[in-house]
Amino acid sequence: MAPVVQCMGLTKTYGRKIALNQICLNLERGRIIGLLGPNGSGKTTLIKIINGLLRPTAGEVLINGQRPGMESKLRISYLPERTYFQPAMKVIELLAYFQDFYPDFRMDRAYDMLARLQIPPQERMKNLSKGTKEKVQLIMVMSRDADLYILDEPIAGVDPAARDYILHTIVSNYNRSGSILLSTHLISDVENILDEVVFIKYGSIVLQAGAEQIRQNEHKSVDQFFREVFAC
Amino acid sequence: MLGKLMKYEWKATWKLLVSANTFMLVMTMLAWCMIKMLEHSQNLEMLGFMVVLLVATYVGSIFAVCVGTTIYLIHRFYTSTYGDQGYLLHTLPVDTHHIIVAKGLVSAAWELINIVVVYVSVLVLFMAVSDFDLFYDNAAEIMRDTIRMLGADKITAFTVIMALIAYVFSLFSEILKVGACISLGQLSANHKLMLSFAWYIGIYVVEQIIQTVYFAIVLAFQKRIPDATRFYYLDSQWETTLIAGIISCVIFYLLTWYVMSRKLNLE
Repeated sequence: MAPVVQCMGLTKTYGRKIALNQICLNLERGRIIGLLGPNGSGKTTLIKIINGLLRPTAGEVLINGQRPGMESKLRISYLPERTYFQPAMKVIELLAYFQDFYPDFRMDRAYDMLARLQIPPQERMKNLSKGTKEKVQLIMVMSRDADLYILDEPIAGVDPAARDYILHTIVSNYNRSGSILLSTHLISDVENILDEVVFIKYGSIVLQAGAEQIRQNEHKSVDQFFREVFAC
Repeated sequence: MLGKLMKYEWKATWKLLVSANTFMLVMTMLAWCMIKMLEHSQNLEMLGFMVVLLVATYVGSIFAVCVGTTIYLIHRFYTSTYGDQGYLLHTLPVDTHHIIVAKGLVSAAWELINIVVVYVSVLVLFMAVSDFDLFYDNAAEIMRDTIRMLGADKITAFTVIMALIAYVFSLFSEILKVGACISLGQLSANHKLMLSFAWYIGIYVVEQIIQTVYFAIVLAFQKRIPDATRFYYLDSQWETTLIAGIISCVIFYLLTWYVMSRKLNLE
């Protein structure tokens, strides 16, 4: 079976600035993959290209063997780093919206997560705190049975106490035959759930390896190894 | 998916725009009441002041609602397509064609509703200052003038329908033009909004040049000395409006589609 994501010579430039430089990367199915790198390393650019929100300057990306398009959007569940809902919409309207557009959306799962987080479905998005908005967005994304979940900084905006819950939500709700690509620079919080890590620096992939492999070979945690690789 | 996109576009816009149009109708009713009260007033100085106040408020509110609707629809297109909400819109499993058509049709529907409300409002006020017979005669004349203004010089069922269709295409092309300019502005890394304005001005200038050249060619072929009446006649033919509207729609639609599907760069 083809990898869920294949990047071949992926390059993105903004004027003279190179955001991604000849990225070659395969992401296999059934894995939780950490896309790790400091701010400005190209994580979000790579994620946007996979989602079809940015066009690469050169190279190609394939999702399930196809270029980004309607088919890939049906199979990818994407959590961006910003709030993308209309502020006036109620949570319950967002549920209906997702159910209308995504055939793999599981309404019962969404209601269950909302109840556990004590988020009232009748509340409007504009009345929720920033952290709660992010939780609602995560619930929408994780209530789908997708082939690939792409989560861009899912824990950056929430307090440490909520991070564990969010990570638990991610791990306990994703489609097991799919993969998760999780971008973050808060490595110590996520490293226990990762099967694989991809280090990205100045737009280039500097390492792709299993999380356990790093711990065994380097005798360090992924977080410690990351600090070593990205030391200023 | 087109139906679903239209449903959510309508849901996102209806509250504000229904409020705006309701406000316009309330202003009309207030103006109607004022006119009726003034008919029985004996104080001429007060009467003059009230008429000026009434006309200024009424015209101002109509202008505010019409311009406000257009600005709101432009803002809505920008934020939902190229702003933060674009992250959701462009990751939905929908065809880009459906996105453009849904936004264009809902915007056109609101602009048409606005026009109808203004038209009804003016007729109501006209009725307030006329007796029934005078109103009936004059209202019929206003409608005939409107149809002529839309380009039907002879009033038959066919020309009226074609003139209305031509007007709808013309309106739709204006909406698509704004969408195309906003989309073309996104091709720049910086100053996207400023570039959108520049595209709008540039396209307007090109349209004016094409129109002038077209008139000159037609007049030259007809071997007539151009005069103002002749220009007016050419400008207001439904056939011209329809063809220009269709061509503009196709061009602006394709430009928007090209940027959205091939050059999308959400920041």
